[in-house]
Amino acid sequence: MSDRLLGALTRRRAWLLLLAVVLCLPPFYLDAFWLRIGLFSMAAAIGAVGLALLSGTAGQLSLGHAFFLAVGAYGYAWFAGEPGPGLPPALAAVLAVLLAGTAGGLFSPVAARVKGIYLGIATLALVFLGHHVLLTADSVTGGFNGRSVPPLTLGGFTFAETDPELTVLGVPFGAEERLWFLGLALFAFTWFTARGLLRSRPGRALAALRDSETAAAVMGVDVARHRSAAFVVSSMYAGLAGVLLALAFRRVVPDYFSLVLSVDYLAMIVIGGLGSVAGATAGAVFVTALPLLMTRYADQLPLVAAPGSSEGAVGPTEAARYLYGAAIVLVLLYAPDGLHGLARRARDRVRRSRTPATGTDVPPPPQPSADARPKEHTP
Amino acid sequence: MKDRTTTAPPVLDVRDVTVRFAGLTALDGVSFTVVPGSVHALIGPNGAGKSTCFNVLSGLCRPAEGTVSLGDTELTRLAPHRIAALGVARTFQNIVTTHGTVADNLMLGRHALSRAGFAASALRLPSAVREQREHLGRAREIAELTGLGAHFDTPVALLSYGDRKRVELARALCLEPRVLLLDEPVAGMNAAERARTAEVVGELRAELGLSVVLVEHDMGLVMRLADDVTVLDFGRRIAHGTPDEVRQDPEVLRAYLGTDATGEDAA
Repeated sequence: MSDRLLGALTRRRAWLLLLAVVLCLPPFYLDAFWLRIGLFSMAAAIGAVGLALLSGTAGQLSLGHAFFLAVGAYGYAWFAGEPGPGLPPALAAVLAVLLAGTAGGLFSPVAARVKGIYLGIATLALVFLGHHVLLTADSVTGGFNGRSVPPLTLGGFTFAETDPELTVLGVPFGAEERLWFLGLALFAFTWFTARGLLRSRPGRALAALRDSETAAAVMGVDVARHRSAAFVVSSMYAGLAGVLLALAFRRVVPDYFSLVLSVDYLAMIVIGGLGSVAGATAGAVFVTALPLLMTRYADQLPLVAAPGSSEGAVGPTEAARYLYGAAIVLVLLYAPDGLHGLARRARDRVRRSRTPATGTDVPPPPQPSADARPKEHTP
Repeated sequence: MKDRTTTAPPVLDVRDVTVRFAGLTALDGVSFTVVPGSVHALIGPNGAGKSTCFNVLSGLCRPAEGTVSLGDTELTRLAPHRIAALGVARTFQNIVTTHGTVADNLMLGRHALSRAGFAASALRLPSAVREQREHLGRAREIAELTGLGAHFDTPVALLSYGDRKRVELARALCLEPRVLLLDEPVAGMNAAERARTAEVVGELRAELGLSVVLVEHDMGLVMRLADDVTVLDFGRRIAHGTPDEVRQDPEVLRAYLGTDATGEDAA
């Protein structure tokens, strides 16, 4: 038994190592377009994991995610840039994440008391408020045109085209290549922390809150404290995602951080499967990469107009929206636990079909299917 | 880890508790005292106020009048999670488990006894990892004790009804309670499962010395397990005493069997 466990652990390590190696390869083989898709996906995944914690695990709907992304992005641009205190960029990034957490904390009197879908409505106000402030507070945010984002420097190494000039294995390392590795590191950090959270005391308390507030309370869970903590943590992940997005865009503009962005993040966690880190990641990649890919290959796709043409056909961005709208409907109808649930069921099936062949006598532990759930998620 | 079981549980004292829901008086000046280490049954027809009484005891419902105290601590003004931290655990009439495995549910019961916060858990600090391991060990012991050992890593949704009820009991035990409130622990179980649960409750009380407050319709079980019985009807306490005394009380017979029966009984 322990041998098998040990074997499983080593195998897991081996897989993780392989995954890490594979994820390090793209900068050496792919051009900037693909790297940017990857970067945006990684940033979105970080934000989506934060929202998955709040909406999927704690059952608290939030439409204010774009606001906290904006706080992170603008926070970094302001802390590190001009006008602003012009702090070292690494410090500015940390402060921006803390700022997003603080913003979440300021909203926590509401987040602790309002539950489920009602919190969604309350957070809606944040997006409009945030957007208005971004447009009008010119001296800090740069108004409608936004402001440029200073590149990140870490110990003399700049995540930009030059300074220092860098060529690795014959590949010139520009901003995208460098940011790719930064994104990977932040993304790995997000996975590590979010999974740690979900599998330990706070994560179980949040899941209990979602399933039954009463049961959680009589089991000793401080309902209000955990609700607001979930909100703060989710805001901090959003802030981190905002920093990475700002670095990838190199410019922050108010119109990006609109309600549509919040809805995009909800789409990510619904498509991916509520409350799972892997699901949120898969959903984030799907929702982020799809419009970019469709824009790139618009001329080869049927029924989709080339970007910029005005022939009345569906533009690539709209087409992408239709597609992931359809994906949401399909997921809700046929796979309520999202891509993550689909993957798990497929894996179970493979395992089951393999079990008799390998001659192991222990059947795989049964997994709950979507319809075996005693209760549905709140959102 | 705290060990509460070495000391005798404090007295749970309910004094003149009145609960009103928009004109309906669910509990009307109810008083009773749970002697430390005893099994105290709370019985009465449907709608008598038994579950409301439990909700008051666990802090889910604030009484309009009256007090509930555990030893020297007044419970009526405390939030549910504070009452849980004092060692009052409960189960529900309708099974209320969360998603995930039996282990996840039992570990929820360890919440009040463990410390790891968001930061420590997210960063997987050694202290948090060690704490989790220790509590997991204790949760497994409790699973064995309640006959759930084989299902420890099984999702609760896949368990039978009786097993799911037992998960609730085990989860409550994971709080290392001094007072255990059981709301219809054997409702809907078959005879074998009933006997099993009764046995577990008896063992618990003998080994851990905790006080048990029991709401149950199964009179056989009540008469077998209870030391004291309080009978409620329409929110009022109509009788109190040992199982034998209560069984012969004319008021109780009237409440359970109707006025005609009392008439015949008296005649």
